[in-house]
Amino acid sequence: MTSQAQRALAVLLLCAATGAARAQTSSNPEISVIPRLLIFTDDGATLDQGKRKFSRPEFQFQEIEAVFAGYLNPYARADVVMALSGPDIEAASLGLEEAYLTVLRGLPLDLNVRAGKYRAEFGKLNMMHPHQWPFITQPAVQARFFGEETLNDLGISASVILPTGDVYSRLTVDLLRGLSIPNAAGLEDTTDESQPYAASGRLMGFFPVGDDADLEAGVSAYTGVHDPYTGDNFWYWNADFKYRYRPSSYTSLVVQGEYLFNTREAVQGPDLVPFVDDRGNPERRSITSGGLYLYADWQFLKVFSAGGRFDWSQSPYSTDDAATGFSVFFGYYPVEETIGLRLEYQHMRTDVPGGEARAVNFIGLQTVFSLGPHKAHPF
Amino acid sequence: MRRTLTFILIVLAAMSVPARATVNVVTTTPDLADFVRIAGGDLVKVDNIVRGDQNPHYIEVKPSYMVKVRSARLFFMVGMDLEKWAQQVIDGSRNSSLEVVDLSRNITKLEVPTRLDASEGDVHRFGNPHYWLDPRNVPVIMDEIVAALSQASPADAATFKANAAAYVKALEAKTREWEALMKPLQGRQVITFHRSWTYFAAWLNIVVAGQVEPKPGVPPSPSHTAAVIDLARKGGIKAILVEPFYDMTAAEQIAKAAGAKVLRVSTSVGGVEQARDYLSMMDYNVRTVAAALK
Repeated sequence: MTSQAQRALAVLLLCAATGAARAQTSSNPEISVIPRLLIFTDDGATLDQGKRKFSRPEFQFQEIEAVFAGYLNPYARADVVMALSGPDIEAASLGLEEAYLTVLRGLPLDLNVRAGKYRAEFGKLNMMHPHQWPFITQPAVQARFFGEETLNDLGISASVILPTGDVYSRLTVDLLRGLSIPNAAGLEDTTDESQPYAASGRLMGFFPVGDDADLEAGVSAYTGVHDPYTGDNFWYWNADFKYRYRPSSYTSLVVQGEYLFNTREAVQGPDLVPFVDDRGNPERRSITSGGLYLYADWQFLKVFSAGGRFDWSQSPYSTDDAATGFSVFFGYYPVEETIGLRLEYQHMRTDVPGGEARAVNFIGLQTVFSLGPHKAHPF
Repeated sequence: MRRTLTFILIVLAAMSVPARATVNVVTTTPDLADFVRIAGGDLVKVDNIVRGDQNPHYIEVKPSYMVKVRSARLFFMVGMDLEKWAQQVIDGSRNSSLEVVDLSRNITKLEVPTRLDASEGDVHRFGNPHYWLDPRNVPVIMDEIVAALSQASPADAATFKANAAAYVKALEAKTREWEALMKPLQGRQVITFHRSWTYFAAWLNIVVAGQVEPKPGVPPSPSHTAAVIDLARKGGIKAILVEPFYDMTAAEQIAKAAGAKVLRVSTSVGGVEQARDYLSMMDYNVRTVAAALK
């Protein structure tokens, strides 16, 4: 190749590269980084020694989320959430929290279809990332029935807006891989058999209550195999509501709650501990249990809010093992939601079957900041 | 027999006239709804999302808004990133046939930033979006509305055009009246809570000396309030313009310390009682500012 040809090729490559870069710039996704830091103390560590003493306040990185979101084309958008989970964030590896495609328009019946790994629409809290909560601690019912990872699984979902006139109502159904519940119970599938899928769904309605208040109510169901070794099924039923009263730009009251009801057959509990009857023989149990949370959060000035939450939850495997608690929390958001400080005190009492009740007090101060664009809040 | 024949002919003639379909329209703000109502008359059905007493920058994305947009043919928005929430409402409506019209397209934009940085506050990357507060921009807005309505209902294009032209003529007469009222006050200074009054001030040749909020979207701080008090005292500033949805505390503190007056003026129809439509809103705003600056 002559030097002139080489130069032309270089110019062409440069032009192509510039064009590609421009094209890329114009379709770059929105990128946000949202770290959650926590300073906390509790008095649970010394209870076994018969003492009640608050631990030395511990600094902890709870999580750093990186969110990439944008439109793929006029019909679909994509959202990818990568997360570094704490507490040992320096040693943690980057994990995929969510990665999904949503087809927004162009489908029959105005269906929305979502595919990938995502937080399923089960109840109200499951769709919310922890940095969006007004409190620090996870409600006991969600922690006990779903684990820290919540209902977040690979799957495909379809939702349709129902023809209910001026009332917004939506039905969502999901077909999921079905690993959320076995994983939460520590029953990771080591069998070679392929497991049945899980399915979930939610029906919700939205009702304006006057000019300044709105109410959303929903019912959800989720079913699948909770024990891959025995193939035992479970059913979760859930009722949720959220009420928001916003009398002015600077004040609002949110009251939200959910009740979860669980039924399952089981021969073993979490971590493969078999159930036995009074004589020590293996036993299959039919379990029905449940839990709830209810919180209120009052934004009393543009930058301040305060609230409280009540928790009660049995175990997915027992009605004797219950946790009951309450928390009070305070939020400070000095400039919109770019920075948030949350202070929470929680008292949680756990009744263990055949054991002593344990009451643990927790005090935490959380800092959340959001680097990059953030979307308007959905109701 | 003849009467019967005439009656049948009239009925047939009436049936042969194509039925006029109402164009369903949703606008983001009540001001745009007012303009659409004027241009469309009874040929349009208009609803808006933001109330006049709400801050259009920060709106929670409610499913009830999606219900409104779901059956709409046209969606008019101010644009320039004022309604950052709008795309979520549009997507949530799942309305595949919706046409979205950004009314800022042909507006001469002010305060277009040369640098975008969160340290400057909540800056709009395409410039200041409060352009409807200069009535000279209304004909531009009306042209866009008429074009979109005419496309949606071509048979009514002439009606839309005539309605808009009559309104613009009436508005121009009011504009001259407002300009005459404010002419002796040209060059006078005001303080505003937010940078909502840039177009209004540029039109009437008054000077916005400062804002109650330190940066767009940032709540007033004690040090900034002290600086604004100083500014108001030194400049002899008599008026502080505050929209109904902002907290009055800092503005009242500045007014008290500097001997100024807080004016509850409205950037949107329905923001104050007197703002029943765009004309009455602008009339109220101009007369309130004029009275305070005299």
